Formats: sequence, structure tokens, C-alpha cells
Amino acid sequence: MGVSLGVFVVLMLLLESGGLYDWAQRLNIGPERSVALPVCTLLHRALSPLRIERERERALVSLARIGWSDDPVALEAANPVVPLPPVATPPAAAMDTVIESAKARAEVVPHAVASRAKLPALPLLQPPVRNVLPPIPAIDAGETRTIALAGDSMMAVGLSPAMLRQGPRYKDLAFLNLFKSGTGLARPDVFNWQLEYPAMLKEAHPDFIVVAMGANDGQGFVEDGVVYPFGSAGWQRIYQQRVDAYLRMIEAHGATVVWLGLPPMKDDELDARMEWINRIDYSVVSASPHAIWFSTAAVVGDGSGHFRDFGEVRGRTERLRQSDGIHLSDDGAALIVEKLLPWLAAQSAASSSTPSVEVSAK
Amino acid sequence: MLFPTVEYAVFFLVVLAVAWALESRPHWHKLFLLGASYLFYGFWSWRYVPLLFFLSLFAALIAQRIQHSEDEPQRKRLLILGVTVCLAVLVYYKYASFVLLTALGLWGLVGRTPVWDLPTPFLPLGISFFVFHAISLMGDIYRRKLREPLYLTDALLYVAFFPQLIAGPILRASHFIPQLLKPGYKRIADAQHIRVNRAFLLILAGLFKKVILSNTLSTRLVEPVFASPGDFHRGDVLLAIYGYAAQIYCDFSGYTDIAIGCAMLLGYHFPRNFNAPYTATDPQDFWQRWHISLSSWLRDYLYIPLGGSRVGTARLYANLMITMLLGGLWHGASWTFVVWGGLQGVYLIVHRLWANSKSEEVQQLRAKRWWPWVARVLMFHAVCVGWVFFRSPTFSVAAEVFRRLGSGGAVTLASMPVVVTLVPGLFGQYAPKMWRRGVEATMSRMPIAVNGAVLAFGVFLIEVLGPTGVAPFIYFQF
Repeated sequence: MGVSLGVFVVLMLLLESGGLYDWAQRLNIGPERSVALPVCTLLHRALSPLRIERERERALVSLARIGWSDDPVALEAANPVVPLPPVATPPAAAMDTVIESAKARAEVVPHAVASRAKLPALPLLQPPVRNVLPPIPAIDAGETRTIALAGDSMMAVGLSPAMLRQGPRYKDLAFLNLFKSGTGLARPDVFNWQLEYPAMLKEAHPDFIVVAMGANDGQGFVEDGVVYPFGSAGWQRIYQQRVDAYLRMIEAHGATVVWLGLPPMKDDELDARMEWINRIDYSVVSASPHAIWFSTAAVVGDGSGHFRDFGEVRGRTERLRQSDGIHLSDDGAALIVEKLLPWLAAQSAASSSTPSVEVSAK
Repeated sequence: MLFPTVEYAVFFLVVLAVAWALESRPHWHKLFLLGASYLFYGFWSWRYVPLLFFLSLFAALIAQRIQHSEDEPQRKRLLILGVTVCLAVLVYYKYASFVLLTALGLWGLVGRTPVWDLPTPFLPLGISFFVFHAISLMGDIYRRKLREPLYLTDALLYVAFFPQLIAGPILRASHFIPQLLKPGYKRIADAQHIRVNRAFLLILAGLFKKVILSNTLSTRLVEPVFASPGDFHRGDVLLAIYGYAAQIYCDFSGYTDIAIGCAMLLGYHFPRNFNAPYTATDPQDFWQRWHISLSSWLRDYLYIPLGGSRVGTARLYANLMITMLLGGLWHGASWTFVVWGGLQGVYLIVHRLWANSKSEEVQQLRAKRWWPWVARVLMFHAVCVGWVFFRSPTFSVAAEVFRRLGSGGAVTLASMPVVVTLVPGLFGQYAPKMWRRGVEATMSRMPIAVNGAVLAFGVFLIEVLGPTGVAPFIYFQF
């Protein structure tokens, strides 16, 4: 057994040195990463002359070409229909070693936010618990309003299924999925929305983009070799720039963004972190004329912005949150969707714009 | 820590090396595995490691008291106490909100209910599995199926042993504890007698089923349809139901394949948990092939104590229904799971009626050569009906799924990856067993180092072919 396991370990290190390097980079800031990253970097550097990683990348592109891959960036690399933005890595570069490609990616994020890099950090504002949806242009008869659903698992679990299930009641609304679980804005080295979003969007032009994101972002990150622990001044500044860059990117085609604030969390420590994220998000969103803040705490919170597991849904007590205390349950998501969709779908028959809607917890 | 991750690979290789290094020191070997199991569990959250420890310690102490007592009434009282406490823990963590919401729902039938924010705890990962292990420990000692003296470390390790801790298979104390190293006991397997080729094949098969088949079907077919069945027509909905049948089988059997393979490399034997379930010709046959460790647990600790089949017909049917309803509820605190369990109970009762039928036409039909194939198709579709309730978050979604089966329209989700993964996901179970044995025999004839190379290249291929990201195993939520 020892011999076969030894052979297995040696071959895995040879074949997957690039994958291990990627894995180590993606680890949360902490002791595990501090040990794994130098070891995996050393290993990858030592083995990169074998060019196994290049063959692996080539295989991934070939798989994308025949329609196997589900990675938008690999698909773009294999079938470049829409030119990628200048920051995207072209297919040839994608075949370089992971270290080079990782460098390229590391350059992408600062470049993408370079135009905003000189902006001073916005003062952090306390998001409102009660909010008012402003009037928006009504849908003209015969027209369809496209709503893109963007974000991470906060959108994927609960919200997007509820939107899609209630959507058919509003015949003038069409939906587009632009979310991916396990992502966020804190770790572009793990999933870079600046690269992935254009690849997912392709040629679509949504009118509204509903965003629910940030539950994975309560963690530190490394930028230009500097470790920024969660909540530090540097972390706040860089994260704010990333939220700003993301918002500007999704607003680029003239879409109006509806940013759903993160709901209160059951775990106190996570809740405190999400409050930080909400403050940063709100500071950026409220500064944009094309973005609207929607406080989910006003709907699924306890009225003062705190967590509650249960609430009234259609006259009955129902569970509003999943058992993890993070994501929304179907009933909790339905409460939010019932506020949003009628507002988004209002027709132009009576007036030229939808009336404002006041939203608060029951 | 999920099985198909670098974290688990590193963890397991270290545990394997140290566990075998400690082989000659049984006490330290077991303590090390116990510590590794708590580390494995704590990797998600340390919040519930104390619960796991104290629940298994409580069950172990009760089991020891039962073992040392010759007074039958006292033994029974201890067993009742132990089982009651274990079930109370399970009910508190898993079913508290379900019970309260159901009570409020009933209250709502006669009047307006108050709206409460009920305090509920976080659901500890794998609680259904470790509570069942704790009950099995006390039950097997009570029934004197485990006659060897019970050591505390052995009992704690039996409940917490990491390959089976989160999603089974549900081991029996009488099967596992004798395998543990104890002074005066010989190990069932030693390093020289482990079927490394078989363990490697199990791990590879499990990874293939989970990472490629299950994840692809989930992301590309099942999730879109069940998130919004109203957006799809008959062909896509039918594909998604078949897809979920394949997904849940590949996901869960993939997990247990990896668990069995890892335990085998550590020198422990786990029982088989799946045996080509979609080749079953009737419901009884299905439950002897699907999640075998759960169905046999329910049979031995619930169905038989209720009276089993040695009772009158009406009582027998009631026993079947109670067992399957509680089996459904075990899977999740939701009425959709209860309905799923109830459907299985109905299938078993209808099958009993059919099997006992004296009708000449029925007997002639059963004697036809083609009948087993018709029965397989019928059984598979009956199982699929149940999966719709199992997968749907609410009854309205399940109803919409069934409604959309009647709608015409184009098939949009039958992409190449979906077809390529659905076919082996469903029909792979019909592959002759001699194929697997042939591969195993071929590997055993190869130089031992080649086995390691096969595993390495296999894992590499799976990593390249698999979708991005690792979805949790479906059964983790239970």
C-alpha cells in the first residue's frame, strides 16, 4: 500500500502543481494559507518547466470548445464571440503558466479599478432599515423589461428561484441569470467578476439588475503581497473600490441596479461582518444615480434590523431563513420578491412612472 | 471538509500515514483516529464538536451500564432512557421548528395564530447519522449482539469515525466495534491484506459519480428546472426528473463509495450501501438496494420492534406505513419528505397485495419472460414520482413540476454534457458486475506502483472534466 500511495502522491504533485498553487491562493487568510502558499508556490515554480500546466489549460479550452465546460471565461477563450474587455486574458496567455496567468489576473483587478483608485474612501453610511422604492419608468405596452439576477449564493438560494417562480405572473418581465454561488468581491483571485461578468452577460442588455452579494466577503485578502485583515482601513478602502468597480461595470450599459442589502445573520460574528459589508455597499450604492438600495432587513428582519428566523407570510408564521441562518428560505425570499416584482412590472397605462413603494417589516 | 477537496486529500493522507505508523500501539491508534475525526467534524464549525462528544459519551456510558447489568428490567429502563435522550436531541436540533410550525398551522385551522419568532438552534451537520449510531450502540449491547467488553474509546470512535460521520453509511456497533484494535484481538485486515486496488477503484468511482455525473446534472439540468418549473415544458421537466434520479444516486452512492474506500485503506470494513437500486423490480427489492444501511436500520430498530410481519394484515400494513413515514421524516423536517416516505409505504403495501394475489391472470402475467423488465420500468417511474416530492422545496413546486409534464414545447436542456452524464448515471447500474471485477483483477495483476498511477491519473482526469466548484453532497443536510 505504501508504494502505491507514494506513487500516487508523487504523480499528483506533478500533475496538479498548478491546481495546488491555485488552491493555496484561494484559501482564507490564516495559518493554513501561510503554510500552504509558500510550499505550493515553491513546488509549482520547480515543476513549471515540465509544462504540464500548459497542457492542462489546453485541455480545458478544448473541452470548452466542444461545449463541455461551464466556466464562462473558458467558454469565451474557446469561442470568442464578443471581444473581451482589454483586461481579459486572451487564449494564448491563458496557456501560460499559472504563476504568469495569476500575475496577469492580479494586474487585472487594480487596472479595472484604476480609474477609481484615486477616489477618497466614501464615508461609511448606516443603511436604512426602512426604505422607499423610488418611482421608475413604467413599461410601455408591448415591451418587455429584462431583469438580470446577479450575485452569489444569496441570489442563487431562495431569491432567484422565488423570482423565477413568481415571474410568469408578470408577462412583461424577462429574467436573466448572472449569479454564481461561492463568489464575491473580496477575492478576485478566486472568482473575478471583472472577467466573468462580461462573459456571462454576452450580448444581453438587461434593463434592471438585481444584485444580492457579499455573504462570502467577510474575510481578509492579499493585495500586491500585502495582507489586509478583514475590517482594517486598507481592507475597507480596497473592498470599497471593488464594489464601486463592480457597480460601474454592471451599470455600464445603462441598466438600473437594485442592490439588495444583506439580511441580518443568525450568527453574531457573521452578522457583525455583514453589517460592515452593508455599510460599504450602501456608501457606494447611495452615491450612484443609477443604483437603488433595497434593505432586505426591512422585510425579513425583526423591524429594528436584527435577525429573526420566523415571520408572517400570508397570515401564517413561516420560516424566513434557511437552517444555516444565512440564506433566505423560499418564504422569506417570496416576501422580498412580492415587494420587488410588482414595482418592477408596473405598466404605463395609468402614469408614466411607477409610484414609489414603501417597504417595511411586518 | 468535503471529500473531493485538497483539504480532505491532505488530511486523509496524513491520517493514513500516522494511523498505520501507530498500528502496533492500539490505544494510541484509536485515540489518534478519534482526534482526527473530531478535527474532521470541527473543520466546518467547532460549535457542535462538544455535542458530538457528549452525545457519544452519554450513549457509551449507558451502553456500558447495560452491558454490566444482568437485571433485565433495569437494562430496558437504561435503553429507554438512552434512546429517549438521543431522540430528544435529534428532535430539538432538527425538528423543533417543524413541530412548532405544524402546531401553529393546526391552530390556524380553528383561529388566527400569533406570529412568533421562535428561537431555533443551528442544525448540526450529520446529526441524523450520529444519533442513529448512538442508538445502534445501545441497541446492539441491549440485544447482546456485541458481547465483547465495550471500551469508552471504541464507543466514541464508532460514533465519530470520520469516513461515515457526516453521511453514513450507518454502521452497526456489532459490526464495527469488533474491528477496532484491542489487546487480545486480531485486526480483520492488516496493511498487507488490504485490497488496495479495490479501495482505489471505489474512491475513483465515487469521485467520478460525484464530481462529474452528479454535479453536471445538478447545475445544468435539475437546478434550473426545479427552481422555476413554469419556464420549462414536458421534455425538459421529464429530463430533469430522470436527471434528479441519476443525480441523487450518483451523489449519495459516490459519497459512500469514497467513504468505504477510505475506511478500507485504514483497515476497516464498511457494509455496502447501494446495489444497483434502479434495477429493482419491486419496492421491497428497491429498499434492499437503496441506502441499505438505513433501510436495514429502520427494519431492525423500528419495523421489527413494532411487530414486523409477524402480525395481522392490517397491523402489518400500519407497521410498513409508520416505518416509511418516519424514514421520510428522518430525511428532513418538511412535509414533502413525509409525503415521500408515505409514497414508499403505499408502494410497499400495494406490492404486498400484488405479491399475495391469488388471481390466475396476475400469476400468469408474473410468469411472462418480459415481466421483470416491465416491472423495472414501472418501479423506476414510481421512484421518480417520489423524487419529485423529495427534491421540491414546497408542494406547490412539486405540483407545478407534475403540471408541466402535460405541456408541449421544445426540449432546451438536452445538451451534450447532460446526455453524456445522464446515460451512465442511470444505466451504469446495469453494467455487469464482472466488468468491475475484471478491472479489479487486472489492477491486481499489475505492479503495485501502477495502482497508484491509475488513481493519480484518474483523479487528474476527474478534476479536469469536473464542473468548477464543489457542491456539497445532498445527504449532508440530513
